Amino acid sequence: MNEPVAMIRIPMDRIPVVLGKNGSSKKYIEEMGNVGLVVDSTTGDVSVMQKENAILAAITGDVIRAIGRGFSPERATTLYGEDMQLAVISLREFAKPGSHRIGEMKGRIIGKSGKTRKVIEDLAGAYISVYGDTVSIIGNHVSLFTATEAIRMLLNGRKHRTVYEYLEKLKREEKYRNIADSFS
Amino acid sequence: MNKTGIAHIFASQNNTLILVTDVTGAETFAKASGGMVVKNDREESSPYAAMKAADLISEKLREKEITDLIIKVRAPGGNKSKIPGPGAQAAIRALSRAGFKILRIEEATPVPHDGTKKKGGKRGRRV
Repeated sequence: MNEPVAMIRIPMDRIPVVLGKNGSSKKYIEEMGNVGLVVDSTTGDVSVMQKENAILAAITGDVIRAIGRGFSPERATTLYGEDMQLAVISLREFAKPGSHRIGEMKGRIIGKSGKTRKVIEDLAGAYISVYGDTVSIIGNHVSLFTATEAIRMLLNGRKHRTVYEYLEKLKREEKYRNIADSFS
Repeated sequence: MNKTGIAHIFASQNNTLILVTDVTGAETFAKASGGMVVKNDREESSPYAAMKAADLISEKLREKEITDLIIKVRAPGGNKSKIPGPGAQAAIRALSRAGFKILRIEEATPVPHDGTKKKGGKRGRRV
């Protein structure tokens, strides 16, 4: 049973990251996902060959997509954990075609030497990568939702301070809810 | 003899629907939703509700002697969210843990080749 379940085209400059030094990270992903990977380094196509476990094969597709969207293999393989998901937001939806706003928006999400991105990652508990015209997030269903909301607020022009306060408020509420749950 | 079914999982931000049909998609074997297993409206989309719904499904499927499943995951799609809700993964895992052999997982989110404008108007949703 060796049929390709997914064919994913990723940017050419991310192909070396999928392969790793002497194919180390490719081997690691194949082991984690119990799949075979066929990488075509002339076109940038990565095919995932399912061996047995269909769930792992489907997740491996997401792992490859995450690496293609700028994540490191270490961060992308956290997708194998329980309840982890990848979300890709295209910045083109938020800018008029042909305008120069995309670079500006990327700057707003990353912040001065990565400050904003780090704050969102810490407060929401998700991984964020800004690459090309996309913003990608890896997290569980709670953190993914909060991080997506925070990024959407930034893209719609809210002040950084407002977004930080929103994230801090959510974090505080979650803390109280955890305390309340532990007593009930 | 292995009997195969297709499990259509529709996971939105508000609910999770699971519908199992035969391979043609015309005959329904079983269906369940998050709302059938929890009381609270806001918990309908939770991973826990999806797990419970998948348990309901697997009971019904065992009666009908279905062993293999092809899974099709779907998010709201169109001009709405293209990311499946929190219930999708939980439902898939629960189905595989219930002993069904999962042959394939497919993405079935409807993607527009450029469709209509997203709801909410020019100034966005105002809360």
